[in-house]
Amino acid sequence: MIQIKDLHKSYKMGKNSLHVLKGINFNVEEGELVAIMGSSGSGKSTLLNILGMLDSSDSGEYILDNVPIKDLNETKAARYRNKFLGFVFQSFNLINYKSAAENVALPLYYQKVPRKERQEKALKYLEQVGLKEWAGHLPSELSGGQKQRVAIARALAAEPKVLLADEPTGALDSKTSYEVMDLIQKINDAGNTILIVTHEPDIADMCKRIVHLKDGVIIEDKKIEQVRAEQYV
Amino acid sequence: MFDRDIWQEIYHSISNNKLRTFLTGFSVGWGIFILVLLLASVKGMQNGFTLQFSDDATNSIFVRTGTTSLAYGGFEAGRRIQMTNDDVEYIKRSFPNDVEYISPRVYQNTSARYKSETGSYNIQAVHPDHQAIEKTIVNKGRFINTNDLINASKVAVIGRKVEEDLFKSEDAIGKFVEFNGLPFRVIGTFTDDGDDNAERNIYAPTTTYQKMYGQTDHIDQIALTYNPNYDLTEALAFSDRLENVFRRRFKIAPQDQAGIRIFNYAEVFEDISNFTGGLDIAVIIVGLLILLSGIVGIGNIMVFIIKERTKEIGVRKALGAEPWSIIKLVLFESVFITALSGFIGLGIATGLLAAIGPNIQTGAFANPSVSMSMVVTATIILVVAGVLAGLIPAMKAARVKPIVALSDK
Repeated sequence: MIQIKDLHKSYKMGKNSLHVLKGINFNVEEGELVAIMGSSGSGKSTLLNILGMLDSSDSGEYILDNVPIKDLNETKAARYRNKFLGFVFQSFNLINYKSAAENVALPLYYQKVPRKERQEKALKYLEQVGLKEWAGHLPSELSGGQKQRVAIARALAAEPKVLLADEPTGALDSKTSYEVMDLIQKINDAGNTILIVTHEPDIADMCKRIVHLKDGVIIEDKKIEQVRAEQYV
Repeated sequence: MFDRDIWQEIYHSISNNKLRTFLTGFSVGWGIFILVLLLASVKGMQNGFTLQFSDDATNSIFVRTGTTSLAYGGFEAGRRIQMTNDDVEYIKRSFPNDVEYISPRVYQNTSARYKSETGSYNIQAVHPDHQAIEKTIVNKGRFINTNDLINASKVAVIGRKVEEDLFKSEDAIGKFVEFNGLPFRVIGTFTDDGDDNAERNIYAPTTTYQKMYGQTDHIDQIALTYNPNYDLTEALAFSDRLENVFRRRFKIAPQDQAGIRIFNYAEVFEDISNFTGGLDIAVIIVGLLILLSGIVGIGNIMVFIIKERTKEIGVRKALGAEPWSIIKLVLFESVFITALSGFIGLGIATGLLAAIGPNIQTGAFANPSVSMSMVVTATIILVVAGVLAGLIPAMKAARVKPIVALSDK
């Protein structure tokens, strides 16, 4: 699903250049649930930005679902993001004046899906995350866990190839975190490819594979026995 | 393009910032309000001028002769130019398509007496056409007709003031009044909107006066109106032709201003329309400048809104919003605020004018109003203004990096 070869990225900080990614190589197969771990400054966020086409690499190869991702202009990147990727953010990033259903329907709007179909799909995905009754509520009327579940529904609505989650449990207490992870695991069980950036070991343990980053290189890449979140819920 | 979602976005953005939107919209509405009122005022002045001059037919030309000031064509300077009845006929013959009404004028001062009342008045001896040229309103009896002219009848049409002075409460029609001792029958009285002095005039047939005073065919002035379908240029061209013909006929040097003077009302109107045209442009410039400050205000607010919504825009982009869809959002909102507030300003201004405009009727100012074309122009200006106001903020919004969606600030 994802093939990355010798990925480099550096940022210019005044006169100095900061080499953040120093040759990353890794592949993700369809249906994997991968945790990307590392302390701050390890380059995990930069890697996620590049995977999410929010940023571009200096050199190296990035192939997503057999499509080489390069020479993107804004419009093309937006289309690819819309088509291939679903995002889940640490701070949920729901649009505060839109109801839960409207938030979920937003990526579909950018896919130019007709209004009625959008609403139907939004309800379907809200049901999947167990929030169908909350469809008409504004984000301010939802709890943190509910917000993140709406955000996950939004990421799923576009039916992306890969789900990218940036510290999805970072703003949640542990109980809610496990609920969200339970949901993520179930989505993964259904065959979706998911990448999670996290620095919490217990969250990483709930994935099927952990990729450890340090100082811009992968120092460890191992398959693990998945801890089911269900038991903590 | 105009799907429900965009309207929803605009609605949310506006309803979340009611006061801010109102204040910004107010500046544009105010700009349009002022612009419309200023333009309407110019229109009012134009109407006022037209009204002032419409007392006399606005398409009239007056030909006067005097004494030449330059030697020309073998004649010395100081020659007195005297027009005669022939000149009137000559104009009629030479310009059959140009002339609408034409009448000579012979001026005479007279002391008039009826019973024991006396007074001194100006008599203008004229042709029947003169009524149309001067737009004389005959309120009793009739004006001079062709029979009076042929018979050189001693008849007179007197102004309302003359009737008041001489006849007091009596009805003047059919009575005989003495002009310099000679009896004239009063056949009509007239009023004049223009001024009271005009109502101290007396009209009599030209032929009567020419016979009474030395059997001449002399006339003092020719008054005429030209084809009412002529526009300003055609009118001025006609009076130029007329002047050339007369200068040749009387052998007056082309640059001699004293020998002949042709006064065309069109010249006055040309001056007025030049003046009000210039005023129009000045007003439009002032109005647009006022509007500009409104546009800058809206642009300013939009930039602020974009800044506030940077994160949201980033999220939208991460979800797959193309730059154009972001630009569209900002532009529509800007055009919407501009157009809505502009229309409110326009509506209030036109409403105000419709309510009070027709009641304003002073000397040089009458019925200030706006035309449909002005309203349409204002609308176009508003939409363009909205686009201009939204352009810079929209570009700014389009440049927002989706990466900001990930930063947690």
